[in-house]
Amino acid sequence: MDIDTLVRGLVNGSLYALVAVSFNILYRPTNVFNFAQGELVMLGAMVFASASTLMGLPWIGALAVALVAVGILGLIEERIAVAPVLAKSQHNTGWVITTLAVSLIISNLVGRVWGPDPIMVEPPPLLSTQTLDWTGIQINSYQIALIIVTFVMVLAIERVYRTRHGKAVLATAEDREAALLRGIDPAKLSRWSFFLGGAFAGLTGVLAAPILYASTALGPSLLLKGFAAAAVGSIGNNRGALIAGYLIGLTEAIGASVLSPGYQEAVIFVLVLTLLLLKPHGLFGRPFTRTV
Amino acid sequence: MADKLLSVETVDVGYGHVGVIENLSLAVPKGAVVALVGRNGAGKSTLLRAVSGLLTPSKGRIVFDGRDIGRAKPHAIVDAGLLHVAEGRRLFRSQTVDDNLELGAYGTSLSKADFAGRVERVHELFPILKEKRHDLAGALSGGQQQMLAIAQAMMRDPKLLMLDEPSLGLSPLLVDQVFAAILSLRGSGTTILLVEQLVERALEIADAAYVMQNGRVIANGPAAEIAKSEALKTAYMAV
Amino acid sequence: MASTAPSPTRMRYLPVVAQLAFAAAALSVPFFLSGGSYLLYVATQLGVYVVAAIGLNLLAGYVGQVSLGHAAFLAIGAYATALLTVDHQWSFWAAAVVGIVLSAGLGVLMALPSFRLTTWYFAFITLAFALVFEKMIVEWRGLTKGFAGVIGVPPPQFFGFELGQKALYWLVAGTAIVCFLIVRNMVKSRFGRGFVAVRDTPAAALAAGASPQRLKMLGFIVAAAFAGIAGAFFAVQKTVVTPDDFTADFSIFFLLTVVLGGLGTLWGPVFGALVFFLIPELLHGLESWRMLVYGCILLVLMLFAPQGLVGALNAGVRRLTARPRGAPGAAAATSAAAPVAHPPIAGAALAVEGLKKRFGGVAALDDVAVRAGPGTCCAIVGPNGSGKTTLLNVVGGFYERDEGTVQIDGRETRGMSAQAVAGLGLGRTFQTPRLLNDLSIVDNVLLGAFTRERAWLPEIVLRLPRARREAAALRAEALGYLDFVGIADRAEDLASEVPHGQQRLVEIARALMGGARLLMLDEPAAGLSMVELDKLEQLISRIRDLGATVVIVEHHLDLVASIASHVIVLDRGRVLAAGAPSEVFADPAVQRAYMGERAVQGAPAS
Repeated sequence: MDIDTLVRGLVNGSLYALVAVSFNILYRPTNVFNFAQGELVMLGAMVFASASTLMGLPWIGALAVALVAVGILGLIEERIAVAPVLAKSQHNTGWVITTLAVSLIISNLVGRVWGPDPIMVEPPPLLSTQTLDWTGIQINSYQIALIIVTFVMVLAIERVYRTRHGKAVLATAEDREAALLRGIDPAKLSRWSFFLGGAFAGLTGVLAAPILYASTALGPSLLLKGFAAAAVGSIGNNRGALIAGYLIGLTEAIGASVLSPGYQEAVIFVLVLTLLLLKPHGLFGRPFTRTV
Repeated sequence: MADKLLSVETVDVGYGHVGVIENLSLAVPKGAVVALVGRNGAGKSTLLRAVSGLLTPSKGRIVFDGRDIGRAKPHAIVDAGLLHVAEGRRLFRSQTVDDNLELGAYGTSLSKADFAGRVERVHELFPILKEKRHDLAGALSGGQQQMLAIAQAMMRDPKLLMLDEPSLGLSPLLVDQVFAAILSLRGSGTTILLVEQLVERALEIADAAYVMQNGRVIANGPAAEIAKSEALKTAYMAV
Repeated sequence: MASTAPSPTRMRYLPVVAQLAFAAAALSVPFFLSGGSYLLYVATQLGVYVVAAIGLNLLAGYVGQVSLGHAAFLAIGAYATALLTVDHQWSFWAAAVVGIVLSAGLGVLMALPSFRLTTWYFAFITLAFALVFEKMIVEWRGLTKGFAGVIGVPPPQFFGFELGQKALYWLVAGTAIVCFLIVRNMVKSRFGRGFVAVRDTPAAALAAGASPQRLKMLGFIVAAAFAGIAGAFFAVQKTVVTPDDFTADFSIFFLLTVVLGGLGTLWGPVFGALVFFLIPELLHGLESWRMLVYGCILLVLMLFAPQGLVGALNAGVRRLTARPRGAPGAAAATSAAAPVAHPPIAGAALAVEGLKKRFGGVAALDDVAVRAGPGTCCAIVGPNGSGKTTLLNVVGGFYERDEGTVQIDGRETRGMSAQAVAGLGLGRTFQTPRLLNDLSIVDNVLLGAFTRERAWLPEIVLRLPRARREAAALRAEALGYLDFVGIADRAEDLASEVPHGQQRLVEIARALMGGARLLMLDEPAAGLSMVELDKLEQLISRIRDLGATVVIVEHHLDLVASIASHVIVLDRGRVLAAGAPSEVFADPAVQRAYMGERAVQGAPAS
């Protein structure tokens, strides 16, 4: 493997890992796997692009707008598409269809508002997407920053689970009823998790935009690779998601030098599926499911 | 009684179409230990689940500390000071003993010092929890888990503690330890509603008792009288 | 949710009449339209979608496996047909068969993940598959001709005659009717009951000896084959096949069709496709808003009408035709006061030795032995958490044991799956009755006969004489068992409408229906009224006296004392005492386990 392939794999892998972590944030207290997550990432990129290029906000300001906007959308999704379904029964899987519906609505609304053309997004000040030839390695400062930020974010999320609220989320995932009897309000945790998971997805979109451009096409592909990273890394396991994200990113980068893009996805799909058939709970874990 | 801490008034409770409890009334005076006994399937656990808000009664009122809690959410009931230690030691097994204790205080605005004080108190009550503080809750023995479950509830300094089958599946030695713990809670003035299949032991430490059968109370009164009553034998041995 | 119609006798023919009327209306459409009309083209297309939707409904509605990639199955049928007829001059019929086989083969592949992964995981994989597949069609230019697609698919020929638009319509409509009938006949058979059991209560399926894997596989194959057929027609009807025809949106369209019509209802996909098809026609000017509208409809439906149009309609009809409570039903006349005669049962002996089972660090069963012979009742008692239900689950093949032997009728059951153990003649009931709430009581009892039915799938689908005879005979037998347990008057009620006490009786009837020779009852008396308890006692005694081996886990010591000849007391996973009820209940150790240290003073009167 040459260094260029490695860089490309790590950069894309970082994005997949971030999407996977955002899945996990929602999944832990609710056992819901949000089918609209890819569109939340996409929306983050679009809002950021508009806020920075059209409204002329500084990078950090546009970032804040994107995070809050997507976080609130996540919260709205929880209120209208997830909570009502789970209120009927905790084991109702109707949310598969309702979150899918939300994904259709977001992706089509965004398509109406922003149109189909990709928007170019500048990286934050001091960083650049201009590739440097650095001792023979083709890399740019934004790529380096992205990989570092990914590590920092995953570690930060892990820290959150060490706080009392974080422990309460884990407790709810493990035994919802016992959590209720200890004064934990799962409904509130679920709302918070959708807000934070949404904001995290928005952040992923903002980070992805300078590399992949902001466009409606961002949603489906990140949804699938993010899901693959979450599943391979064991659902709910953030470190697993990080490693799996890189595994998938690297596999894809290596494949790209051999195969055309369409086949690439097919090969990854077959690899992930085979792995899940052999190890249904992913590489890193025991099943992270709630006791009935 | 003016100083009733909990009073359940003519409630019906069920799951879906299936009624389990009919027209049941019960009162727990402040500072007392009240035992609730009866055969399996009599509806004892269902009653506790209704009191702690996991189930909603279809009829009647549940008044705790002067407030009607019949339709309150479980976490609001916990915040009001009513703690339910459910059957089967429902702990967070993949978290440590310390984490479980910390979760016991979830949502309270205890200062660091007060929190440490509470931890110290439950460590005094159950020294083993101090010794095993960094172990996973799931790795504890059955008796230790039961103690942790009670300790977790004690972290909130409850006004009323409801214990559902604390001796379940424990060896006699561990049962003794659990009962000793209940006695010491009683000594410190905690009001307790105890559901227990070891009827004799429960009646020994209780002030008053209710006997349930088929979703109704068939007898109630001072524990010593209930222990000798025919109703108790009826409830356990006959139809 | 299910299709079983309410059937006071005069209503039994209503569904058939409705089906005939609908089929006649569908087949007469070409008489009102000219050959080349746009409406006929649209009507043909509608028929194609109905075929695919019927298959998806079987999978998502009955088997409970939501596929978000149904368009891929259609694509295979369509491309196979188009490529073979255009490039290789095959006849439509041969090409279509290849398309169907390929599509069904893919269905088999897609079934594999559903064996090990939960429903939503599986939904994700099908979605991923559809997206990947969409790109593959474009990419694999050598085969699929890329974006340009396959152009000029010839119409089917029939003995040298080219089928015109009208004939093609009849072909498609006829196929749709046949598909409807296939699914109808399947759903009403043991397969339908098995599907619903797999969807709602897999434990009940296992206890009845049905294999969830095989049933899922069957659902996938049928759904994929139907999609393959639809794809073949799609190709000849449109004459052009391009990658744009089979986008992920198309899969969503099918999902919406069945959700709108009503998941798990027979008519759901038909009505769903009809209504759904009209929407794009009505919204013609709003073409670009279509997916947005779809998304909104999908969301609103799932939240407010998860059973769809037909589900809501069925519920309404049920409410109108419901008998007033307590009034005698159609079958009540057969329910006599005297006990119903029943031939003897050749009981199967149970012999358990040295059984051990640990969960993590806790010994749930430690050196447990149980012996029960034909015509006797053995009771297992003990405090909560002493391992009684675990024992039943190990014997039933639901849990693997760590050590020890379990023999049923002299056969060692080590390594056997739950459904294999059920095949040895073990029938069981659950602590909380596991009934299929959406099916009638008699259908629930019929589930018990799953492994006894001999008719093959083709016979059932074609309603050949043997299948019909067998279905009628089994139904009569099931009604007989309902009579035997004393609730024949509730035969046609939905299981969810029946009170708790009677649900237990349904489970016993289901076990007997399965030819149970060893019956394990888990707390059958819990929550029963005095009257129900009396009846239960008589019922269990009769089953025992007919020769069956009965093993009962129970807390009602009175009941135990009156029906059991042998009692085993479990305490924390160990056998504390065993013997005749009178001895065992007088044992101080047993009383201690039950009531506490000093309960020994007054021994129970019983």
